[in-house]
Amino acid sequence: MRPFKYSRAEDVHSAIQKVAANPNAKFLAGGTNILDLMKEDVERPDELIDVTRLDLAGVKMSSIGVSKKSIAIGGLGKNSDTANHPLIRQNFPLLSQAILSGASAQIRNMATNGGNLNQRTRCSYFYDVSMPCNKREPGSGCSALEGINRMHAVFGWSKDCVAVHPSDMCVALVALDATVRVQGIEGKERSIPIIDYHRLPDNMPQIDNNLKQGELITAIDIPENNFAGNSYYLKIRDRASYAFALVSVAAGLEINGDSIQQARIAMGGVAHKPWRAAEAEKFLVGKTPTQENYKAAAEVEMRNADPLEHNKFKIELGKRAIVRALQLAISNNMS
Amino acid sequence: MREKHKIIGSPVSRIEGHLKVTGKAAYAAEFSFPHLMYGFPVQSTITAGEIKSIDVIAAERSPGVLKIITHHNALKLMPRPPVTHANRMTRSNPVLQNTRIHCFGQYIGLVVAETYEQARFAARLVKVSYKTERPKIDFDENLKDAYKPEILNAGHPTDTSWGDLESGLKQSAEILSETYNTPIEQHNPMEPHATIAFFEGERLTVYESTQILGTTKEAIANTFNIPKENIQVLAPFIGGGFGSKLQPREHLMLTVMAAKMLNRPVKTAITRQMMQTNVGLRQHNRQKVRIGTEKDGKLLALSHEIVTHTSVDEEFIEQSGAISRMMYEVPNSLVTHRVFTTNIQVPRWTRAPGETPGSFALESAMDEMAHRLKIDPIEFRTKNEPSVNPENKKPWASRSVIECMRMGAEKFGWNMRNSEPMSTRNGRWLVGYGMASASRGAPCREASARVKITNSNKNIRARIELAATDIGTGSYTIIAQVAAERLGLPVEKIKVIIGDSDLPPTPGSGGSWGAGTYTNAVDAVCEKAKNELLGKSKIKFVNEPGITELMKAAALNEYQTEGSVKPSEESEKYSHFSFGAHFAEVWVDESLGIVKIPRFTSAIAAGTILNEKTARSQIISGVVWGIGQALTEESVLDKRYGNYVTRTFADYHVPVNLDIGNIEVYFLHEEDKTINRLGVKGVGELGITSVAATIANAIFNATGKRIRDLPITPDKLLL
Ligand SMILES: Cc1cc2nc3c(=O)[nH]c(=O)nc-3n(C[C@H](O)[C@H](O)[C@H](O)COP(=O)(O)OP(=O)(O)OC[C@H]3O[C@@H](n4cnc5c(N)ncnc54)[C@H](O)[C@@H]3O)c2cc1C
Ligand code: SF4
Repeated sequence: MRPFKYSRAEDVHSAIQKVAANPNAKFLAGGTNILDLMKEDVERPDELIDVTRLDLAGVKMSSIGVSKKSIAIGGLGKNSDTANHPLIRQNFPLLSQAILSGASAQIRNMATNGGNLNQRTRCSYFYDVSMPCNKREPGSGCSALEGINRMHAVFGWSKDCVAVHPSDMCVALVALDATVRVQGIEGKERSIPIIDYHRLPDNMPQIDNNLKQGELITAIDIPENNFAGNSYYLKIRDRASYAFALVSVAAGLEINGDSIQQARIAMGGVAHKPWRAAEAEKFLVGKTPTQENYKAAAEVEMRNADPLEHNKFKIELGKRAIVRALQLAISNNMS
Repeated sequence: MREKHKIIGSPVSRIEGHLKVTGKAAYAAEFSFPHLMYGFPVQSTITAGEIKSIDVIAAERSPGVLKIITHHNALKLMPRPPVTHANRMTRSNPVLQNTRIHCFGQYIGLVVAETYEQARFAARLVKVSYKTERPKIDFDENLKDAYKPEILNAGHPTDTSWGDLESGLKQSAEILSETYNTPIEQHNPMEPHATIAFFEGERLTVYESTQILGTTKEAIANTFNIPKENIQVLAPFIGGGFGSKLQPREHLMLTVMAAKMLNRPVKTAITRQMMQTNVGLRQHNRQKVRIGTEKDGKLLALSHEIVTHTSVDEEFIEQSGAISRMMYEVPNSLVTHRVFTTNIQVPRWTRAPGETPGSFALESAMDEMAHRLKIDPIEFRTKNEPSVNPENKKPWASRSVIECMRMGAEKFGWNMRNSEPMSTRNGRWLVGYGMASASRGAPCREASARVKITNSNKNIRARIELAATDIGTGSYTIIAQVAAERLGLPVEKIKVIIGDSDLPPTPGSGGSWGAGTYTNAVDAVCEKAKNELLGKSKIKFVNEPGITELMKAAALNEYQTEGSVKPSEESEKYSHFSFGAHFAEVWVDESLGIVKIPRFTSAIAAGTILNEKTARSQIISGVVWGIGQALTEESVLDKRYGNYVTRTFADYHVPVNLDIGNIEVYFLHEEDKTINRLGVKGVGELGITSVAATIANAIFNATGKRIRDLPITPDKLLL
């Protein structure tokens, strides 16, 4: 690990100021990602500002408008506390399931909600500093494009990077239409819809998201919805736990009588950002919740997928995962 | 006829267990010395070529750095003689002697610093430029260069044949010809390799996580040209080895070199990432199996033809076809091994080398054939049971594989199996049953031991000393049990001292010989002590006396003797193998390809079971690794660069708790009268053998899909 300066922030303002003032400074939250990357020499900050003592951990219910409510989860809330909070379990079981399907209990106890959003890709070339990687070293080339890319993207990739975003939690947040609240140097808060928070790689894969240097994630707002009872997070991986997704699907269906009022589908393990399956969603609105319609929706969505040499299976797996997630969302089968 | 055992066999808990669970058992990297320095290897970032230059200026200036050793300033070491079966573990292993790079991650230097962190940081500051060559990595691209090696690991012959395979196939009513692939697998014992070394004058002390003390000492002596007598190797506790700690590795030689150059103690503990690149691996085996049978299932022909890779730096070939030479009676047989060189690191013994990949091919093929013949897989195997070892015509000392299959079938509920694939469902899960039979060679080797008996205030205690290792298997405990049994003392009165190369020599732990070899030496030396004391005694005993009576009769407060024992000439006349049968129930998600193994049953016949608890742990752990082999484990290399894409535990998937269901182990009562005094055959490697085939067979029964390329990940079950 390279030598670095460490300090603990006492208040939000000074934390932001310190990181904004030094382009090589980073926030330290749970440390489950940044410290690993520093040990691997992938991240090389010269200053870490520990934000874990800031009071940004709670889960709060608030009103937006007259009848609509939303819940805010703190940027520094622990992943496990968030997943197990009664308000989240009751109103957003999709988010609970997604968080609990990631990492291990120990890691979730350390990991924070803000850190989860900003965790970096698990592309193993990115982690291996002896290999070319545009995300780590812009201009050095993408090793995965023509290398081993079984775990990589089938949507939205560019010649410069084919990595996927590893988070499970963010996939659920996308299906839930969350917004990320961030605070910057001027003390002003701004809100970024989660779908616009992460980026596609284009020709700048070194930039994962639209957060500016020094901006701190203070909270994530999740609007109330009508599909809490009809939602499911499905994660398919190479072993039963403690592995990143081959493909994952967050699904929610709002049903009115016999017809689908609203469909929310997001996918993980398929793109540089959590992938909103907008085409499938559109297809399902107004249709009946049947296996045939799910299949057709999955076909519509995966039609646009563009696989690499080793991940062609993600297309078929993606289709089947969409169908299964929708089925389980309805039957609410937790098995 | 031997008397019935009271202590041998009983499930005594590990006598060192409390030390381990309280963190008091010190492993190689956990010893501390004044002025201890830390070594961190510098690794090659290319896979084939030459080092052009190494720039250490920045690294040398880094805080805490004491020395940077590269080929420029390395001590001159003894040249390496060509490898033979006999010298593989002991020959000189000269590191940093030239600029040649033959594999990715090869150690090309060592940074020595005051702290581990300083050494690791400075290692990154070493700038190396290379002349890069295109590495030989890809299996298919290099296959054309396969040649016939002279000999395989452990002296197994390269090719064997009897009868005439082709005409056997021609006569056959049913023929199967399939190819099976088992991928590169990696060693990952709980404790990564580590060394501490220091000189005191001419004397060298080494703490090393090693399976064998004696060969480690010899290899150091041969590498540095130091008399063996001046070297002491200590390994009181070892956190698993599985073959990766049989041969003294390069980190050890780097550490000894640094200790010598700086004349201070040096510690080098390698990282998990280096476990992927520097401690050996199980090679990819491509295995073509052909089976021909009569209509009734009698085997007429069996061939097992293997191609695999070795390193450009050393030839090592596991005996993957050996199992097909001894498992079934067949009049026409052909088993061959071919190998080509690559820039992948040298393969190494990996739990049941040969049997683990070989059994996947053979036992999958047997299952495929049974299905075609519409014969129950157990019946098919039973029909082809050999009365003597087909390879050398030696009689079996003991072979209870049919009994294992029967017992396992009964305990598992094999009769509930529907032989028609895809016929059992549970919701969206397809349920399948599979089985395979297992075998593993049961070697026993020469070893020695010392017993010291003390009598203080009528408190008789014994101390057993031998240069054995406990690699997590339970050596401490079984040694204590055998001594207690033989001396007539409770286990608590036995002190076991092992893990020190200055003690009476043994061949260490490996190849499943450890348990039988150690305990027979201990058994023999205890008997020797008793006989010698009986000779000194003036009393005539009516019943066989214990050590307490003997010490009293001889009026001694202290007595010690040493002895050794080696396999008898009689035992050479027989074939010695452990046997077993595995059964698995699998559930496969029909649409998503996810596999669960809710239960697994193993029936094991391995002669005398010294301790039911530790033996059971051995089998369970073998089954767990077998499940990894079947479902998750595979090292993937990028053929352009030769790097490991699966470079950490995040990408190289070993099974986690949730992947493991209920594993039941049953031991058959079996007596082996020739293998050794106690009739011990060893269970360390039997557990993993044929597990992958068992699971693949069950997956076929569940889904009708036959997967011949491991591991069976969800994507392979989609189509
Ligand atoms: C072995 C392992 C397995 C894992 N498996 C999974 C999995 O299956 N699924 C999954 O989703 N995740 C998985 N993870 C990732 C885990 O979820 C993340 O590491 C974790 O969420 C990161 O949170 P943290 O608080 O520890 O972040 P840190 O490591 O502290 O920080 C990560 C990044 O976020 C920045 N940051 C932190 N907080 C803020 C904030 N409030 N505002 C702005 N920037 C901030 C930091 O500066 C840093 O750049 C795994 C991790 C490990 C180590
Ligand atoms: S996919 Fe992205 S992260 Fe991976 S090697 Fe290519 S540029 Fe780097």
